[in-house]
Amino acid sequence: MIIIAFEFLVVILKVLWAFVTAGCKWVVRPKEKSVAGQVCVITGAGSGLGRLFAKEFARRRAILVLWDINSQSNEETAEMVRQIYHELDTPITKDGPVGGVEEVPPFQPQVYTYVCDVGKRENVYATAEKVRREVGNVDILINNAGVVSGHHLLECPDELIERTMVVNCHAHFWTTKAFLPKMLELNHGHIVTVASSLGLFSTAGVEDYCASKFGAIGFHESLSHEIKASEKEGINMTLVCPYLVDTGMFKGCRIRKEIEPFLPPLKPEFCVKQSMRAILTDQPMICTPRIVYMVNFMKSILPFEAIVCMYRFLGADKCMYPFLAQRKEAMNNNEAKNGI
Amino acid sequence: MNFILETLQVLLMSIWYNLESFVHLFVPRRRKNIEGEVVLISGAGSGIGRLMAQEFAALNTVLVLWDINQEGMKETARLAKESGASRVHYYLCDCSDKNEVYRVADQVKREVGDVSILVNNAGIVTGKKFMDSPDSLIEKTMEVNTMAHFWTYKAFLPAMIANNHGHLVSIASSAGLISCNGLADYCASKFAAVGFAESVGLELLATGKDGVKTTIVCPYFINTGMFDGCQTKWPTMLPILDPNYVAKKIITAVLTDQVFLLLPKTMYLITALKTVLQWKLFSLFGSYLGLSVEVDCQTFPSRHLKLQ
Repeated sequence: MIIIAFEFLVVILKVLWAFVTAGCKWVVRPKEKSVAGQVCVITGAGSGLGRLFAKEFARRRAILVLWDINSQSNEETAEMVRQIYHELDTPITKDGPVGGVEEVPPFQPQVYTYVCDVGKRENVYATAEKVRREVGNVDILINNAGVVSGHHLLECPDELIERTMVVNCHAHFWTTKAFLPKMLELNHGHIVTVASSLGLFSTAGVEDYCASKFGAIGFHESLSHEIKASEKEGINMTLVCPYLVDTGMFKGCRIRKEIEPFLPPLKPEFCVKQSMRAILTDQPMICTPRIVYMVNFMKSILPFEAIVCMYRFLGADKCMYPFLAQRKEAMNNNEAKNGI
Repeated sequence: MNFILETLQVLLMSIWYNLESFVHLFVPRRRKNIEGEVVLISGAGSGIGRLMAQEFAALNTVLVLWDINQEGMKETARLAKESGASRVHYYLCDCSDKNEVYRVADQVKREVGDVSILVNNAGIVTGKKFMDSPDSLIEKTMEVNTMAHFWTYKAFLPAMIANNHGHLVSIASSAGLISCNGLADYCASKFAAVGFAESVGLELLATGKDGVKTTIVCPYFINTGMFDGCQTKWPTMLPILDPNYVAKKIITAVLTDQVFLLLPKTMYLITALKTVLQWKLFSLFGSYLGLSVEVDCQTFPSRHLKLQ
């Protein structure tokens, strides 16, 4: 009995201390850690958030390893990254490029590209092996690759449902298995899961996507607990849950027009900047915008009928319908063009 | 003006639903009559599946049992008949195989009729640390605990929608709402099952099919042998649940169209805390409450692992 009371007291003290440190973080922003020279793997780097993450890490002089299924867009991202490296290494003064003084040039980061289908386990392992040989140990893993089928469940071909699950959820298993052992050995690393607010609360029409994002979040959280239990303090994990980001992935999705000015689709640059800050300050979770925390909280305390009521009011229950309709039309147009 | 009125309406309705929920904490809800309905239970050969079959049988329903274990299923069928089921059919079905699910579903539709209550209960767990789990087992866990739900929904939901009558029951787990150490793939699969069931539930409401109900069950560890060897830290607050109690609560939830059922009741508080507390704080509470299966569950041989 005394042991329980004592442990409870310790917990209360830790809780109070946590609040104090959180309060301090509001006032004094914690310093962002340096990732210069660290190897950073980004999946789905060919477009959207992946590309922006690549650029942000490039600005901070990380060595980039870009994975994508589309080699052309992957190379485009790599080119942008090389451009950033180049700009970083040639400081321009008002007299022109600095020259004349023989300084040891700062560390030259590089970018490596690999074509990889993260939905295929063997592909992930093979590419990871190549990365280990050609680049070295991976310090930061950004599980960002994501797809959506764009069909209602009953109209969705089984292959597309399976594809959404393997790319959005299973891929995280394989990349973690590939890179975590070395991180554990060196007690140094950072795993970032780019999920979605649709992994915290769902909506109609994107059942496969919701299932996969919920799964990714469940895996991330469980893995965090496992790492914490193994007492490897040098390994951090960050979960990124953005609201709808304007990357074209969910083009057409809209909530109620009166509410839209208050909750517009996020600008990708804003989303990535917030996420970078969270990653570089070892924050465990970031939801953008902050109202997502509120929705998540309300969902867990209110009765389901009340939540449905609010979704209907916000237009969130049918927000994906225009997106799905657009996809269907595009598919029909393609079929008409191909003479099917 | 319209917008302001609607905002007011939503606020009032939300308050009403909250009040209604509060009242129903004391006043039991009306139970619907499911006599004659066709109830399909996957994983009916043992554990909660078997107990639910008996409970549904006592309500005079037609039972369709699926399991990978023929012997267990036969026993369940016998017990169900004893409990009063009018008809009991059983089929051998490996829920991880999509084609088998569709094939057996077609057989059910031909031989029994349209399923009106679908209980996705089949579940497996590997019980190893993530890095020590073989990839094939991880995939199997996802296939049985999550993907099987996709296929059964695709098979049986169209008829429910056409009749605007049905009930989708997803037996997930509290590991689908809060994660545990030592169950990485299990948590991923259960989170996905919860997200999927919720999403389908919302789709049904959005399309106006309010005759098709959803119930998502998230119990803490149940004493069925699946998690043999696990012990909880504070048994009064978070007990290992008695399977009979769980089965009874699930039936009640189905009969009263309850959407989320968390067992035990402390789970509601823990889930709410999770959303409001900082990560590290919740982790702290987690270890305080003993939300971990690492110590005790590593050495148990789950009979489900013998699938290989």
